[in-house]
Amino acid sequence: MNSVEGLLTQIRGLSSTASDVLSLQNVLKQADESLHAKSTRLLPFLDQLDPSKHSLGYLYFLEACTAGPVTTESASSFVLIIARFISSCVAEQIRLAPDKFISVCKRFKDQVLLLEEPLRGVAPMLTAVRKLQSSTEHLTTLHPEFLLLCLLAKCYKTGLSILEEDIFEVDQPRDLYLYCYYGGMICIGQKCFRKALELLHNVVTAPMSTINAIAVEAYKKYILVSLIHHGQLSTSLPKYASGVAQRNLKSLCLSYMELANSYNNGKIADLETYVQANMEKFGSDNNLGLVKQVVSSIYKRNIQRLTQTYLTLSLQDIANTVQLNSPKEAEMHVLQMIQDGEIYATINQKDGMVRFVEDPELYKTCEMIEHIDLSIQRLMTLSNKLTVMDELISCDPLYLGKAGRERQRFDFDDFDSVPQRFNI
Amino acid sequence: MASSSSSGLTFKLHPLVIVNISDHYTRVKSQLNLPPSLTSTSSAATSNNNNNNSNGGENNQQKPPRVYGCVIGVQRGRTVEIFNSFELIYDPSTRSLDRSFLEKKQELYKKVFPHFYVLGWYSTGSNAQESDMHFHKALMDINESPLYVLLNPAINPAQKDLPVTIYESELHVIDGVPQLIFVRSSYTIETVEAERISVDHVAHLKPSGGSAATQLAAQLTGIHSAIKMLNSRIRVVHQYLVGMQKGDIPCESSLLRQVSSLLRRLPAIESEKFQDDLLMEYKDTLLITYLAMFTNCSSTMNELVDKFNTAYDRHSRRGGRTAFI
Repeated sequence: MNSVEGLLTQIRGLSSTASDVLSLQNVLKQADESLHAKSTRLLPFLDQLDPSKHSLGYLYFLEACTAGPVTTESASSFVLIIARFISSCVAEQIRLAPDKFISVCKRFKDQVLLLEEPLRGVAPMLTAVRKLQSSTEHLTTLHPEFLLLCLLAKCYKTGLSILEEDIFEVDQPRDLYLYCYYGGMICIGQKCFRKALELLHNVVTAPMSTINAIAVEAYKKYILVSLIHHGQLSTSLPKYASGVAQRNLKSLCLSYMELANSYNNGKIADLETYVQANMEKFGSDNNLGLVKQVVSSIYKRNIQRLTQTYLTLSLQDIANTVQLNSPKEAEMHVLQMIQDGEIYATINQKDGMVRFVEDPELYKTCEMIEHIDLSIQRLMTLSNKLTVMDELISCDPLYLGKAGRERQRFDFDDFDSVPQRFNI
Repeated sequence: MASSSSSGLTFKLHPLVIVNISDHYTRVKSQLNLPPSLTSTSSAATSNNNNNNSNGGENNQQKPPRVYGCVIGVQRGRTVEIFNSFELIYDPSTRSLDRSFLEKKQELYKKVFPHFYVLGWYSTGSNAQESDMHFHKALMDINESPLYVLLNPAINPAQKDLPVTIYESELHVIDGVPQLIFVRSSYTIETVEAERISVDHVAHLKPSGGSAATQLAAQLTGIHSAIKMLNSRIRVVHQYLVGMQKGDIPCESSLLRQVSSLLRRLPAIESEKFQDDLLMEYKDTLLITYLAMFTNCSSTMNELVDKFNTAYDRHSRRGGRTAFI
């Protein structure tokens, strides 16, 4: 125990200035092994350290304490300790040992899940994420853990607040996949289908060297959300999707592709029979709720198609074309769509006619101008970042090697041997 | 070390020499430093990556490498015209110049340009140093009074003229000891038609923060400076009025009357139709700018994606080698 006491005094002494903290980190790294050996007996020593002043030392001790297997009794006490630590620790000291902090938070999440109270973990995890990330554009390993807790605790709004930020830097590819997948699920829960589509699209088109299960699940949800939001599914992935994804994803989600095909035909009865036939398959993927929304959205899609053909139409005709049961139902649907802003129309109740009109927005107002101005500025920062990335990749030796290999061997005019490989 | 030269020679420098020196330096510099990897997700372990990044960072902070070479040209009377240059192998630590290489290069250049001969040498750096005198003396057996062309590779956006200086050597008596020191000389740039076209081409490749070249940009800059001046004047008046209100400045009724009459002249036009038209035109301009930005961004993105696919996608492109006969 002497070494532990000695370590404690060193932590208390060396936690004031930045250079002291760096030397403290070296000391702690060397003492890490011995701390882990005594992991079960370290708990009483934690009280002698103040998490707000001695964050780094407290972190090392905490990580060693929680290294063992998690049981229900120890979980409740640890949850309190870790939550208090996260709220009071100092961000700069934490960032010196990010992997330790991440493992402590992951164990925190496990304990909270073991106690079956994910709601207790949401707020501390949010603080942890904010303290760990070096800027709001940085994606850490804690982001997907936080979103997982939000999903399990069903508090989607807190999750949405994190999803509003644009991400430009990622630590690990698996973080990105999980973050976008959970984020997509949260947005689906809040019915923001546009943002859900964007996030799921990110997972599906992210660079990957081999196909992974997260991308497959994300692609299934992507198909369904695309049908709900856009009413159609683009059959080929864009060219910035990895070759692996382009080749393999469709064959792994065959039943969903069939669903999209029968949706495109527009016949509601066919769609419903198909859904009934494959009910267990959709259920095993936990996508039944989404599939039901797809079925109800086909009415909307058919009504929208009518706006492209007719200027005025009676409610009875709408009901017949869209295969609804009565004009009353048709009126309800059209009214709901007008309220949601999906079509622009006026219903004349006297003779039961619906007149489709153009989008009345003239874009002349000051708010619209401010909106455009903001969009232009966002686009300018994005363009700058893209130019920087473009220059970086132009100097990348991997790219230069492959680009150099593709030069023509023989020019038309001269027969000088043009160098084939770009030898650096 | 640098005062103005008294030899009375006029120097004419061709842009080809400057481009050669800069190219030599850039090549050597980029070959020394490994470029940092594109994203940290592209390699397997982030810890390995962080190590590589920190090593790359250390390399960048080392002193930038110095490159050496010879300049060749013609001297006619009192005019020295520097046409071309080539690289030399020189080891600054052992101070050894590769003579055989220099002679071989001289022979080759003599075959192509029979009139040119070695006029001096070049190097990169911010200032002429004492150690350069050794190289200078080594070249003195080829040319009795060689020139030293120095290029400063540090990019200083505030600097308006070229970071190139030409030094001559003069024998001065310092503390009773005759020594060779470097003295600065002035020079002019002389271009041949081919050089002018290529320099123009290179200059337009990257319009990065340079002066407004096009007419539209010039006109907009004029309007922008006019509005800026108007803004600053209004601020002055505003501060004055605030000071008067607070009581720091004594009240002056005549000035107040002038300000109030100015304010009553505004706004010049106020009607709903005017607002409408103004907003329409403003919106149109904004939308066009937005569209232009969008196109620009999409094209950069497209190029980036192409390069990324070429570099990192294993099966994307098979080499496009077709024999042409």
